[in-house]
Order: sequence, then C-alpha cells, then structure tokens
Amino acid sequence: MSNTQSIAPVPIDQIVKATNILQQSSAPKFGHELLPYFSFKQGFLNLNNGSYGALPKVVTEACNELMAWQEENTDFYYRIGFIPPLIGVREQLAQLVGASDVDELVMVPNASTGLGVVLRNFLWQCGDTIIRCNTTYATVYKTIQYIHDVTPGLEISEFQLLFPTTRQAILDGWQKHITNVKANAPQGQKIVAVIDSVVANPAAAMPWKEMVKICKDVGIWTIIDGAHSVGQEDLHLADCGADFFVSNCHKWLNTKRGAAFLWMPKESQKIMLTTIPTSASYVTPGPDRPETNIVSQFQYNGTIDYTTYLSVHVALQWREWVGGEAAIHQYCNNLAKKGGALLAQTMSTKVMDPNGEFTMAMVNVTLPFPSDFQAQYDASVGTALSNKLLARNMYAVTYYHNSLWWTRVSAQIWNELSDFEILGNALVTICSEIVSEHKSANVPQNCKAVSFSSYLEQPLKGAVALDSNNGIGAPRPVTSTKVTLVGYHTQLASIRP
Amino acid sequence: MANVVSQYESKPPPFGHEMRKCFSFDPEYINMNHGSYGSLPSPVAEAIKPYYALAEANPDLFHRFTSIDLIRDVRKRIAKFIGAAHTEEVVFVPNASHGLNTILRSFIWEEGDIISSCNTTYNSISRTAEYISDIPPHPEVVQFTLLFPTSHSEIIQNWRAYVRSLNEMRDQSAQKLGRRPKIVAIIDSIISVPGALLPWKEMVKICKEEDVWSVVDGAHSIGQELDLNLAEANPDFWVTNCHKWMYAKRGCALLYVPKRNQHIIKASFPTSHAYKKGGGSNFVEQFEWNGTIDFVPYISASCALDFRAWLGGEHVINDYCHRIALEGGKRLAQILGTEIIDQDQDFQFTLSMVNVAVPFPPTMSSAFEIDMAFRRKLLIKRKIYPAFFYHNGKWWIRCSAQIWSQVEDFEVLGQAILEASKEILEEFGDGTEKKTMGIEDKVEKVN
Repeated sequence: MSNTQSIAPVPIDQIVKATNILQQSSAPKFGHELLPYFSFKQGFLNLNNGSYGALPKVVTEACNELMAWQEENTDFYYRIGFIPPLIGVREQLAQLVGASDVDELVMVPNASTGLGVVLRNFLWQCGDTIIRCNTTYATVYKTIQYIHDVTPGLEISEFQLLFPTTRQAILDGWQKHITNVKANAPQGQKIVAVIDSVVANPAAAMPWKEMVKICKDVGIWTIIDGAHSVGQEDLHLADCGADFFVSNCHKWLNTKRGAAFLWMPKESQKIMLTTIPTSASYVTPGPDRPETNIVSQFQYNGTIDYTTYLSVHVALQWREWVGGEAAIHQYCNNLAKKGGALLAQTMSTKVMDPNGEFTMAMVNVTLPFPSDFQAQYDASVGTALSNKLLARNMYAVTYYHNSLWWTRVSAQIWNELSDFEILGNALVTICSEIVSEHKSANVPQNCKAVSFSSYLEQPLKGAVALDSNNGIGAPRPVTSTKVTLVGYHTQLASIRP
Repeated sequence: MANVVSQYESKPPPFGHEMRKCFSFDPEYINMNHGSYGSLPSPVAEAIKPYYALAEANPDLFHRFTSIDLIRDVRKRIAKFIGAAHTEEVVFVPNASHGLNTILRSFIWEEGDIISSCNTTYNSISRTAEYISDIPPHPEVVQFTLLFPTSHSEIIQNWRAYVRSLNEMRDQSAQKLGRRPKIVAIIDSIISVPGALLPWKEMVKICKEEDVWSVVDGAHSIGQELDLNLAEANPDFWVTNCHKWMYAKRGCALLYVPKRNQHIIKASFPTSHAYKKGGGSNFVEQFEWNGTIDFVPYISASCALDFRAWLGGEHVINDYCHRIALEGGKRLAQILGTEIIDQDQDFQFTLSMVNVAVPFPPTMSSAFEIDMAFRRKLLIKRKIYPAFFYHNGKWWIRCSAQIWSQVEDFEVLGQAILEASKEILEEFGDGTEKKTMGIEDKVEKVN
C-alpha cells in the first residue's frame, strides 16, 4: 500500500485482498457444507449464533489485513485513512436498513452502548417515566434502573410480557399499558419507551412497529433495541416511526465483534448532545453548534480499533456471495420452524410459538423437566445446563421464563435439521442427569465441567488460515457491494493526539 | 497463561532502526509520533492470534468463561505492575477517555460544584467537563493556567495557590447554599501537548490537603513513567492507556479506583447486568461485561508485558527512549535554531517525548489551518510526522522517542520541518499582514 509520493485515502477493496477468493469460486449450498468456511472447533455444534455471532474465515482474514493496515502508518490511519471507508460503511448500512440519509446512521461498539448513550442523553427530570418490559435485555434493563436511581422522582413503568402469547394479545396489552401510563404521567413530563424489535429470551420477533405507533400517537418517545434485527429481518427504518433504533452487526450480519449501529433521524438528533465518552469535537449547544455535530462526534470519540466497523463492508460481500439477504433469511426461517418442531418431538416437549408468528431465525422449545422440578427457579440448573452442553461440544441458550425452562436455538446457514435432533437427544440426557443429581443432592461442587480446561491445554495454534479448498463448479460473477465515497457530509473535526 | 512466542527464544534485535523488525511499519514511514496512538509490536500481534482463534472456535465458551478468566489473570498482573494495593482496584476500559468519562459522569453533580481542568487538559476531557457544565445543575468549570516554560516547583507553588482559591470559592458558595459543594480536579500525570511529565503526585497531595477530589489522566503514563506506585501516590482515581507506551493492542486502558472511592462509581458505561442500586460493592463485577466487544485487546496487555520483559524490562526500554529523546531533541533544536521547551529546567518534564519550537517568527498566526498544513506537508508528502501544537505564543513539535528511533530520525525531521515551515510562511504570511484565514484563530482548540 505504500506510495513513494504521497498517501491518499484508499477504499477498503484496495486494502483487503482476502475477499478476492469470493470472485474465484461459487458458494456451496446452505447447511453443513458451509462449516469449513467458519472457524468452529472440530465437531462443535453451534446452535447459538444469536449470542455472539460467528465470523466467516474470509472476514477473519480481511480483518487481519485491516489490522495490519492500521499498523503501517498509524497517524495516517487515525487522522485521515479510516474516514472514507467508515463513511462508506455507514452508506452501505444506511442503504441496507432503509434509512433516508447516511447522516442518520452512526457506528457504536454494541447495542448496549448505543442504547446507553441515547438513554443518558435525555435530560431526565422528576416526573418523567421510562417504560421497559420484564423481557428487556439485562444491560438495558439495568441502564434504566440506574437512571431511575440517580433521578429523584423518575418513574419506571414495566410492561409484563409472558410467553406463550399472541401478537394481538401483546398489542392489546400494550395499548392498555400505554393508555394507563399516559393518564398517570404528570403533564409536560416526558415518557420514553424502550421496545425490543426481537426479544432475546425468549427469542421473539415483536410487533414493534405497531407498538411504536401506539406510543407515537400519544407523544411517547420510542427507542428500539433491535440488537438481533439486522441480518435476520428486513428493515425499512425511514418509515418505521421510531425515534431511535440500535442493532448489532456482529450478531446476524457476520461482522467482527464490536460493531453496531445507531439510527437517529434528524428530529431525534436534537436531543443527542454528546457521545460517551464525549468527543473532542463536542460543541456546547447553542447557535455556534452545527446541526450535524453529534454525527461528527460519533466519528471519533476516543481511540478504538475501527476494524470492527470496517468489517461490515467485507461481511456484506460475504453474505452476497453466500446467497444474499433474502435467501439467508428464508433458509434460517424455514430451518428454525422445522428444527423447532423436530426438537420438540425429540424431547417430547412443546414449541413456544407453533404458529410461527414470533419466529424468524430463532426458536424456543421447553426442556424435558418434570413440572414439579421446574416450578421454582434454581440458578444451579441454568449453570448445569450450560456446562453440560459445553462439555458435549455443543451450545444453545437455556433460560427460565414463565415457570418453565426453555432452550433458544439459532438456525444459521451452517445448520441442518439433524442438528436439532442431536441437540434434542443431548438435552434429554442432560435434563435427566440434572434431575437425578438434584434428587440425590449430588449437585457437583464445581459447576464448571472439568473438560473446559482441555480447551486451554490444547496447543494453541496460530491464526486460522483461509481454507483454499472452496467448493466446486464454475466461478460465477459476484455482485460485490462497492464502497461509494460520497464525500464528506458532515463537519469533520481534526483528529488530535 | 504463559503463551510463549517462539521468537522470544532468541535475543531481541538491538534498539534503534534494527528494532523495526519487531514492528510492521511502512518501510518508508519514519514513526516519530508513537505517543498519539501507540504501535503494536509484531510479536504481540502473533501472541494474541490464538485468543482470536479461541473466540471463533467456540464463541460461547470464550465469551462466557474463557475470556473472563483470562482477563482476571491479566488484571492481577497489571495491578502489581502499577503498584495497586489490590487487584480489585483495577478494571479494563476501552480507552482513557472512556475511563475518565466513567469517573466524571459518576459524580452526582450539584449546584455550586466545581470541576477544575487546565488549559493543557486533553481536548476530549475538556469537552467532557464542558458538557457536564452545560447540563443542569451546571457545575462550574474553573481552569488552572499552565504555561511553558515553567518548572516543577513553580507549578506546585501555583497549584497550591490555585487550589486554595478554589476552596475560597467553595466557602462562599457554601454560605449561600447551606451545604459544602465538592471540587473535582482533573490532573494530567503527563500532559499530551506539550508531552510533559507533571509533578502530579505532589499535586494530588495538595488536593488531599485541601479536600479536593483528584482525577488523574495518566493516559501516557503506563510504560513511559517508571516506578508507578499507585498505592503510595494514592490518587482518588487514575486512568491510563495500555495501548500507548505499553504496546498493548488498541483499545486497552485501565481504570484504577481505590476501594475507598468505589462507592462513587455507581455504574459502568454501558450499565452492566450486575448493577445494583447503591452500587460500589461490586465494582469489578460491573466492569466484567459491558456489552459484546473484542476482548482480546485486554488480554494483549499481558502479551505486551511479555514482550517488554524480553527486551530487558522497563528500565532498559525507558533509559533508551529517554536518552534518544534528549539527544534527538537537542539535535533537532540545533537544526531548527530553536529550543527544547524545558531546556532551562534541566529537562525535568521530558521522559520519552520531547518538545521543540518551530522556527516561526513570534507574530505567526495560531490558526488551525497551520496545523493542517503541517499535516499535509509532513505526514502525507514527506512520510514523517510529529504532533504539532500551539502553546503560549509559539508553535511546537512533540516527538516521541521509541525503541526503533535513532538520532538520525530527528535530523531527517529537522530538514523536513525547515522546508515545510518555509513553505507555510510563504503560504500564510508571518502574521503581520492581515491575510484572511477563513476561520478565526482558535488557540484553545490547538492544545
């Protein structure tokens, strides 16, 4: 990349060579044929994409190249170099999620940060209300708790969501709840609702747009925790009506961990005073502050590794190559439904959502515990489930909800129906082990299974090499997503040491 | 956690240009600004690859268990390194700005409170103080003035007088408010620009005597400042970047909060699932998971310490860097016909960063455009770059001396600066004629 005359900004496609391989081969079918394209330990049955995502080898390689680029001339990178590709990534994401303008979308390290920075920008007052659900994700739930604890007179109003249920029941309940909150809230004080687009536990695609409308009709702010959305569902944010939307790119969009976006239309940006941490380009609110100042602030607010954000570009190329968004969603959706049914059959239990109205790529099935055993929540059961699954070189999330133990299974493009049967058989054995351990008061002291240490004892190899044995068949043209450098939309601040 | 990199079985290359073998710089780029963003040694980049592999081999195992255990071990090692009394006083944050924001935002601000910053406070931290003051209940920001050239003893004297004046302000407010407001002072251990070691331990002591909270921005300290002994220095809060002078991967920084003050930090940012009302009692637990990130930079801190041990350890590294900073700085000042900022104070402010004046007439404009012009002419055109800044009526260069640096680099830089400053004088004038700059002088933005 070095040039004897000068250093000019370079788009990502010139820096990253790893994706060239995509142009030289065609993708295999969805299913186990895709496993060699990921870096899972041999035999690891990954049924939990939902928690931490998974990095395709191509994206890993590309990230290595991006990190090497960062070290070549770090001053250039942080003062000039990262900016055009980052704007390009924001453009691509803005297009993907149906934003009306690139300056409505900024990058954040993860959904917790995005939601946290929005919630903490509101100037909270006595008499304000924040609405959350019992199913709100833990970090967001606790952010709201923290704000309540430091703001005298602020009310939390919690909406109870218990599954199984129906979309209509949720909407009816939500309408009642909102009407109630609005009636009791002091005049002139704000009400802010945090709504999941997809609840994490249980995994449930919510009628969030309808819930937003119910709020909007009575002047309630809506912040959407869309952590699971991008890459799992089609988004059209421009007409969704919400005030803020946050989603993780490292869950269902195959980017490096530490990449998410915050969408905030122009009206919403008015309440956004600062990033956290505050950026050097922060300007005190007033006539001297440019309208797009908050967007500039998000571009740089402390030294981070931008590789995570820039990996969005490569991840999108990968997804295009492997079949494209629509094909991916369809495969995962079908597999989640069929797999969930098979899993329930294998364990002789039930799927939470047999109609599929809440099911995208994740499905929830009850665990085969006797009802008297699971009548009360017991944390050690959760730990045991987690440990025993890992000891068997597999993983799916397990959780307690509405007096039952459940498993949440993610269907991904490397999964097939047989994976669900394997999980089911394992869980039957595991659950019966747990029940007998509890009955004989023989719960293992050290909840961590002994076999964990084997992961650390194995010789640690170097970086995963790109697998050159890519599929069969003639190369097909790849419609790779290009970086469109559209110039600087925002007042960019100089980067200081 | 001994993950031995095979390279450590042979002797390291000598310090100087040969040490470039251990880094992955563009061969045409002369890196004289390590201080801004740090540099990742290739052996450290190698040493962390297995952890990246683990993260993908079984993401659940890694993120739920393995990484948490590994990071606890690293915290233990680092806590010892900085002389903290307890491992539980040290947690990782992505960067110093994040750590300092966590502290400053944790205070429950009230009317009459005072935030003390300095004209040399790092720009994002000044903006943080400004933001806090901009929102209700509008605590007041008061600024300590620090102008070079000066001396450690002068600074200590001025600081004492200043802190006492803050206390007088507080006493007056207390009378009106019927309660005693708090004063929170942000103190740099090593200022960013100029790159200057302050007598921060004495300044912290004065804060204690005057009942003022001390929040130390030690961004540049770890790996550059020897014999950090935080239990002894006893600041109220202390933050440092491991990815600057300690060679960890970006972003890796430490937030140090002695046990007596952990009750102030009610919550991390973002808030953790472990947050409980009343906070403080589970300080470490609250910082163990704050959303999914790349956790490997935190682990890399330990790999960085392995690398530094291989080189011979902290004293060996810093003796070299310090010597080159002084020799190189003197050579540079000679070429430019100017001075080193603390040459009359026996270089008491200089560790591995040296500050030399740019050969401009005293009338030269302080406009931001001149900084940008230097960037174009040095970083882009000539592939050599120090930090530039305007301070107390002059333009200065801040050079970072590192283990790959040699005095010759300062000579190359000197020639480049001579050419570039001549060009800039021609383009912008010497400040005596009224040439329109487009944007007014912004002294405060160029720190």
